[in-house]
Amino acid sequence: MQFFGGTEISPSPPVPTASGNNGNMMYIFNRNGVCLLYREWNRPLKTLSSQQDHKLMFGLLFSLKSLTAKMDPTSAEKGNLGVPQLPGQGCSFHSFRTNTYKLSFMESPSGIKLILVTHPRTGDLRDSLKYIYNLYVEYVVKNPLYTPGTPIRSELFNKTVDQYVRGLGTELAVMLCKKPSYVCVLAD
Amino acid sequence: MVREVSESCVESLLSEIVLSYCSGFYANKPELAARRIEAIGFQVGHQLSERYTMDRPRFTDNLEAIKFICKDFWSELFKKQIDNLKTNHRGTFVLQDNRFRWLAHMSIDPLVQASGNIQDPSAMAENKSAQATGMHLYFPCGIIRGTLSNLGIECAVSADISNLPACELITLITYNSFSYI
Repeated sequence: MQFFGGTEISPSPPVPTASGNNGNMMYIFNRNGVCLLYREWNRPLKTLSSQQDHKLMFGLLFSLKSLTAKMDPTSAEKGNLGVPQLPGQGCSFHSFRTNTYKLSFMESPSGIKLILVTHPRTGDLRDSLKYIYNLYVEYVVKNPLYTPGTPIRSELFNKTVDQYVRGLGTELAVMLCKKPSYVCVLAD
Repeated sequence: MVREVSESCVESLLSEIVLSYCSGFYANKPELAARRIEAIGFQVGHQLSERYTMDRPRFTDNLEAIKFICKDFWSELFKKQIDNLKTNHRGTFVLQDNRFRWLAHMSIDPLVQASGNIQDPSAMAENKSAQATGMHLYFPCGIIRGTLSNLGIECAVSADISNLPACELITLITYNSFSYI
């Protein structure tokens, strides 16, 4: 029984490029909802003021995290609301995808939330988020001139993050230039 | 026997020393705080030079002692050597490290840097951050002074950080025991 055909039956979706109509942003929040960093590489549509935008983003992720944990069918005990968990423990939400973007999320045990918004065909970004968290530890936490809880103003950190994310973007663009084909065959 | 210690611990300890002296003990007297930090470095340098020159013969002159600092001493402390050594042959040596390990994580506010000297408040903020960065260099200066003092050479050491993360340590030798040989 043939389920999906090849690309001649349904038109393949347009190949998104790294720069183009796809949003590309990064947020870093701390435990108390303070937005430590907001970087934007491509954002065609801005609807809210940046404060409202940050509040909305933080509230959304806070609720999503507790919702996913409460609805977990495999574990009996649910953690306390808002408490960050160790990686691998409990149920952790890591990404959601719409037809126009994909949002990847990671929370460290200290409550630092990293959010990356990329184009919808991005793969699993958990390792990239871990790498960015390591950059945060190296250039922000270990910087004696930084006061924890305040927005990040470190040139070194901004530069390295920019380089890394642009590198990620070009990798994905190269990968997507090969034409995708969807063939899914189920036999009785 | 070589004992090892975690690098993050050392760096956190050093930044905490500077913070507590500058905003804790000597809150409004940066010169006093600087002197205390440099004195701690002096003690450390004294003891370190004792340990690292244990199996070596005496140094024949100033240049040999400075070269020891640039090569062996710096490799023991930072796993690399000094990148550039300049001298005026009259007692002044400039040791340049292109990527000073203890400053590698520091970085200043890009907005402050961009505005430059246009308005007074931003110039003040830039000076403050330069001053804060400078405070972290009193400890290495003290280390060098202590090391040389244990080898019989009195000197004054200052630091220049015009381009991070490169760092220049300027050593002016005031007295040495070799001039009487």
